[in-house]
Amino acid sequence: MTHSDADATASPLEFVSRILGQAWRDLLSVYYANTPIWRLLKSVGLLFFGFFCWSASNLVLSYGIDWTILRYTRSYGFVLILWGPLTHAVIVPLVIRLRRSAQTPTLRTIARQGSKINISIFLAIVLVLGTFPVGPMTLDFQTTLQGGSGSDVNPDLLCTRSDGEIHCHLSESEGIDHVVVTSGDREVERVDEPPFEFTIREDNLEEVVGQQEFVVELQDEGGDTIRRYRRYVSSIPET
Amino acid sequence: MAHTLDVLGLFDNEYRDDGFRTCSVTGLEVHRSVENHVKLFGLTAVVALLYGGIFAFTVAMTRWEVIGLLEPDAFYTHLSLHAWNLLIFWMVFTEIAILYVGGPMVLGRRLPLTRVAKAGWLVMVGGAVLVNYAIWTTEAPNEAPLLTAYVPMPVSPLFYAGACVFILGTVVAALPFFATMWYEKRENPGKTLPLVSFAAFVTSIIAVEALVGGLLAFGPALLWRLELIQWWDAAWYRQMYWIIGHGTQQINLVAMIAVWYFLTHVVAGAEVVSEKVSRTAFILYLFFINLGAAHHLLSDPAVSTGWRIWNTSYAFYGATFASLIHAFAIPAGIEAGRRKRGKGGGLFGWLTSAPWTNPVFSSTIFSIILFGFLGGITGVMMGQLQLNMTWHNTFATVGHFHGTVVLGTTVAFMGLIFFVIRTMFMRQYVSERLASIQPFFYSAAMGVAVLMMMYVGILYGIPRRTAEVVENIPGTEFSLSAASPLFAIFGIFALLAIAGGVLFVLVSVGSLVFGDRVENGDDNADLVADGGLGMAQDPDDPVHAYEMRGTFVLCLIFLAAFVITYLLNWYLLTQLWSIGA
Repeated sequence: MTHSDADATASPLEFVSRILGQAWRDLLSVYYANTPIWRLLKSVGLLFFGFFCWSASNLVLSYGIDWTILRYTRSYGFVLILWGPLTHAVIVPLVIRLRRSAQTPTLRTIARQGSKINISIFLAIVLVLGTFPVGPMTLDFQTTLQGGSGSDVNPDLLCTRSDGEIHCHLSESEGIDHVVVTSGDREVERVDEPPFEFTIREDNLEEVVGQQEFVVELQDEGGDTIRRYRRYVSSIPET
Repeated sequence: MAHTLDVLGLFDNEYRDDGFRTCSVTGLEVHRSVENHVKLFGLTAVVALLYGGIFAFTVAMTRWEVIGLLEPDAFYTHLSLHAWNLLIFWMVFTEIAILYVGGPMVLGRRLPLTRVAKAGWLVMVGGAVLVNYAIWTTEAPNEAPLLTAYVPMPVSPLFYAGACVFILGTVVAALPFFATMWYEKRENPGKTLPLVSFAAFVTSIIAVEALVGGLLAFGPALLWRLELIQWWDAAWYRQMYWIIGHGTQQINLVAMIAVWYFLTHVVAGAEVVSEKVSRTAFILYLFFINLGAAHHLLSDPAVSTGWRIWNTSYAFYGATFASLIHAFAIPAGIEAGRRKRGKGGGLFGWLTSAPWTNPVFSSTIFSIILFGFLGGITGVMMGQLQLNMTWHNTFATVGHFHGTVVLGTTVAFMGLIFFVIRTMFMRQYVSERLASIQPFFYSAAMGVAVLMMMYVGILYGIPRRTAEVVENIPGTEFSLSAASPLFAIFGIFALLAIAGGVLFVLVSVGSLVFGDRVENGDDNADLVADGGLGMAQDPDDPVHAYEMRGTFVLCLIFLAAFVITYLLNWYLLTQLWSIGA
């Protein structure tokens, strides 16, 4: 009787149980497949899967969805990153070898029960780490969102022009050490004292693709740029 | 007889008096004119890969702030050189070679207009050198262009000139391919093109569309930068720019799929499950794939909401559907082809008994798997109007296109270069072992690096293009230091991936220079899995007589990953907007 004939005459229950049985046998055959390429594919596949479970669970947890199951999928993923490759690159091949060559009763028991022992240890570690998570397995996604001391340096740069001169000032000067104004690769102004107002002449500015422009950089004590503004003369309102 | 411009004996295969020879691996009638030009463009591509790869090191070691190699200004210059050499020059030179393979070589014709092909190569090289020079010598007020030199940002006019020259050179180099198609159809009006030629033809049409878009972007921008015209519309520029900016990546995609069909057939005995379905998928690409470019403009104020929704929620799925067809058709072809030769063996035996030690095969398969899982799924995510908001301009975007053009296209093209070394340059690998290891090493390391790029981008909102973020963004308390553990993993695996890239260059160039010469067909017998399709008990059996349940299971796994990733991304979005909070 062919496969399709069997399907046609089987009851739904038999059909489902046959499908599940086949799936279980396929799963076992994949678990015990022991050629070098199978070992590699399974190890790398589980490594990627572990990364995914670990990071995705961390992510959802950190957004405040405190489902207990997520703590265990996180732990599962975290342990799998190491245990997946260990299982398929080392333990399964070892178990298969022992089944052929084990001489002593202890080794024969290990060979017979090796995979179950391995999975039991793995699941035990997952349960322990799921219940008592250690530091490295907890990714903190919320730190950046819960700050808010309000120390951003982000003032408005306000400029006006009249009679060939451009006058600029900042809406606030807290957190700034000095201000450097450049045009092209030339420094045209440097202001070291608050409130960092400055006036520059239009004819002192370089022209880039038909537009005179200048760049204002707010810098800290070490000379690192905090904020950078580029302004075109044509877009500055006249007073 | 050796070619007049022969270097290191690389152009001296044995041809018959009519200039043809029969390839012992593919069975194709190969003419000297085609083969030599494929080699010329292929070698140039590897030079670009090497040069761009050097900047992969400096860029990755800057973004990994524990090292913090470069200052911000130098970083952007290096990033621009990395992008242009790898994303454009390595890819496009290889793609011209692929057009010559898919056209005249598969059709068993000589390459027409060989002087035009050489002129195209010269102009392309000139353009590439000019672009590199312009970027390397960038000085204020100009900025290094990366791939988004948006007007009115000042960029060296030499850059725009170089880009135009390169585009023109590419069009010229493609002309012999179009002439081949013209001659073929004139001589055989009722005959269908082979699938690989058909794929190459679709590639070429998308390429011309992209290149013309590029000229329409860069040409006026050059005139504006030279101040011959006073003003240029920035919104128009962005629209036109992305026709080439993303269009070139679509050329990569379609060329890569052509390579998948070609190499899986040759080295793994794959059959085409349904020619009509596969051809239809290529036609879908023709109409819809370039709409993928729209995702770059989804945060752009210049386009309407209707435009965004049309491009990203309806029309774009035409291309996604095509990719899903190929995602099933190619593994199914491998499975059925191998089962036909008695290489089935259970659910996945057809896959595990495949020639994994052959780097051509392993490169192709890793390209298929990693492109699908890491590049393809994320492409659909970020190509969607709503989800794009969580991806746009984050490092996750960089992860996405490294998933497509590095893990997908570059890995496939590396496999093709391995194939060309054996079958056209007629050289054995300088080390069989290293050649076998390279695709595994490179793909695995790059895979983890790409995953980390996506994680730090989508989970922490790490921006792209900046030299430093983890230490802090100067002047703010907006610290992203929580991402540093994942950045450490990224840095280590980026280094390993670069080592894998170096290994590729060493093996390929080493094989050309020091590899033993392939003297006869038997020397290349190992390239063909299990003796080829001729080994099947009944080679004429229809492909549908064989089951493809392994492929079905793989597709279910792919679907599950797709659904989970999709849901997770939507979940992230709802959290961003605090829906229901």
